[in-house]
Amino acid sequence: MTEHNHITIVLAGQGNAGKSSLFNNLTGLHQHIGNWAGKTIEKREGTLFYKGYTIDVLDLPGIYSLTTYSVEEVISREFITHHHPDCVINVVDSTNLERSLIFTLQLLELECPLVLALNMSDLAKKRGIQIDYEKLQSLFNIPVVPTVASRGYGLTNLIDEILINKDKRVSQKVHKYGKEIENCIEQLTALIRGNEFSYPARWVAIKLLEKDKDITRLAGEKQPEIMEKVKELCDHLEDIHGHDSSLVIADERSHLAYQITREIETILAGRKTSLNERLDAITMDKVIGYFVMVLIIGTMFYTVFSFGNWFSGLFDTWSVKLHEWWNTAVGVSTWSSLGWAAIESVVALVQIAFPYILPFYIILYILEDWGYIARISFLMDHLMHKMGIHGKACISFIIGLGCNVPGCLSCRIMESKRERFLTAVLVTLVPCSAVSVIVFGLVGKYVGLLWALGLYVFAMILIFIVGKIASKLMLGEPVELIMPMPDYKAPQMKTVFSQTWDSLKEFVYIAAPIVILSGVFIHAIDLAGWMPAISNVLSPITVNWLGLPAVTGILLIFGVLRKELILVMLAAYLGTTNFSDALSAQQMITLAVVSMFYVPCVATISVLWNEYGWKKAMMVSILEIFFAILLAGIVKRLLVFVF
Amino acid sequence: MITEKGNRLLSEMRIGDTGFVVAVAGGKRATKRLADLGLIPGTLVRVVRKTLFSGPMQIEVCGSKFAIGKGLAQKIIMDIND
Repeated sequence: MTEHNHITIVLAGQGNAGKSSLFNNLTGLHQHIGNWAGKTIEKREGTLFYKGYTIDVLDLPGIYSLTTYSVEEVISREFITHHHPDCVINVVDSTNLERSLIFTLQLLELECPLVLALNMSDLAKKRGIQIDYEKLQSLFNIPVVPTVASRGYGLTNLIDEILINKDKRVSQKVHKYGKEIENCIEQLTALIRGNEFSYPARWVAIKLLEKDKDITRLAGEKQPEIMEKVKELCDHLEDIHGHDSSLVIADERSHLAYQITREIETILAGRKTSLNERLDAITMDKVIGYFVMVLIIGTMFYTVFSFGNWFSGLFDTWSVKLHEWWNTAVGVSTWSSLGWAAIESVVALVQIAFPYILPFYIILYILEDWGYIARISFLMDHLMHKMGIHGKACISFIIGLGCNVPGCLSCRIMESKRERFLTAVLVTLVPCSAVSVIVFGLVGKYVGLLWALGLYVFAMILIFIVGKIASKLMLGEPVELIMPMPDYKAPQMKTVFSQTWDSLKEFVYIAAPIVILSGVFIHAIDLAGWMPAISNVLSPITVNWLGLPAVTGILLIFGVLRKELILVMLAAYLGTTNFSDALSAQQMITLAVVSMFYVPCVATISVLWNEYGWKKAMMVSILEIFFAILLAGIVKRLLVFVF
Repeated sequence: MITEKGNRLLSEMRIGDTGFVVAVAGGKRATKRLADLGLIPGTLVRVVRKTLFSGPMQIEVCGSKFAIGKGLAQKIIMDIND
């Protein structure tokens, strides 16, 4: 294959604009995910074979389509200058032209070969929005193609345009700002030695006037002599406009986008209330909205748990058979039982990942692609604010109800470091599906369903209180909610499955190594015969303070691997699943409370470690152990009055 | 920042009200975040929906809908259309 037939294109634009649909429809199954150096954001790569060309398509999936322009812009520009693509496709939401064009203008300033894909053009038509594509094309002097990515419409046109234009170096039209700003840009551009930066000189000048942190730092290193001039020009702009120079340019850019939109867009009057508005009237209503939310989330969990219980039951028989096979094939020895511990950890991981997390993710991403997740953030913002975080954190909590691992990972959608960490800590207190197995299997079954549900309410109140205290202790201003509310649209199963697959893989990659290692480690301690000694050491806590049988000490240690092991091993130890023989109602509730909060499982700890460093991960784990023991002891003493 | 007669805060607007942004009385970070989303002086804003207990509100800015927290809405000074 010659270099000539190999081209690279990058997709840029907001998540809502249908970038993932476009990516999926272009590349089909030829995709893979890779972490992009240094960032917690991953890139997706796919390959398309078309008319004798091998076309690599790169995409940076936005997380939950809630990123703001600044984030999107910084990612895109670093990515574009790093990869030097042959072409950048700017995916634009035709129904939100004006807002999307602000980002297009920023891409144009980067002076990279650009093609505009005006996506969701069918939806725009439906809403009576008419767009003059030719005029837009001549305004920017770049190819403009209307597309409907979800149905594959316009995609061949898009690629054809890229192939036609790839060798022509057409000069894109550079949009001009107001006179004073242009004057400043020109003065600065003349001073900047473009080849020192990997960015165009005019762009560097604009960013310096915008007081962009990264670029200012870069310029300070490469051309410190111009910094004085930069300051002088910024002050000059501020004098004229009366506010910060970074805003002056943002204002002008928005204004330009406004003008362009007026020129190319006609909105036909007399459209009916759209389905979207009618849906919003229900799902975002100040009263009914909350009922709908409880109903939707309730149905989601009911589906996940019924499917999970059924499916994981199938696994249980398999795993017993596998163990028998292992024992006959390898024989019974210390090494073989350590080997089995490793296999069992893998089986356990698969047993959570497939029956529970897989359907959970599928439903979550259907809701996300449909547009509902943003509505939840809206409805929950007020409550979340009381904890010093905002509505978006609610998404992490819901994910955490399925499994804390993806819950903690999803905290990346929060804007500041403070909020990311605070949300992650609170997510570790959210009862995940494994904890639910204990709560319902023990308390729900033998004490009463109301008690089990009561424990959930208790957990929610506790999270609220911890959140309130923690947000007071952690320095820094809370960030206010502002996010785009995407319109409802029919979920694309292709997108849903590819997102599910990505998340599932991430879960397995992060969790697997630690789960397997610690599984083997704990079994080794068991084989060495140290377990009785350990349960003796722990008995002042388990027996004296919590009033539980001494064996729970060992169970709680195993529970660090996977919380439902507490119940599974208790059954193995008792030789029966009728727990009421061994535990009183009071003990069951105490055990459930400890299990809920005592420590995040190893998989969750490994995520905390990965995202926030080992110090914070250890601190959270140790604090939670003390906290849970203290709390369960108090609960035990209060329960005396009830039972 | 002085609110002139006829000017009100975004948070005080009622459902269905429209108005133009006059100024943003927030810190640099808040102002920048709003500008990134196109919320700058001169922008036409319509209040679509509010929540109970002074929670966030939903607004429409140049054809796109946003959710905005109360604290932020209190920093935006509006000139309300009759």
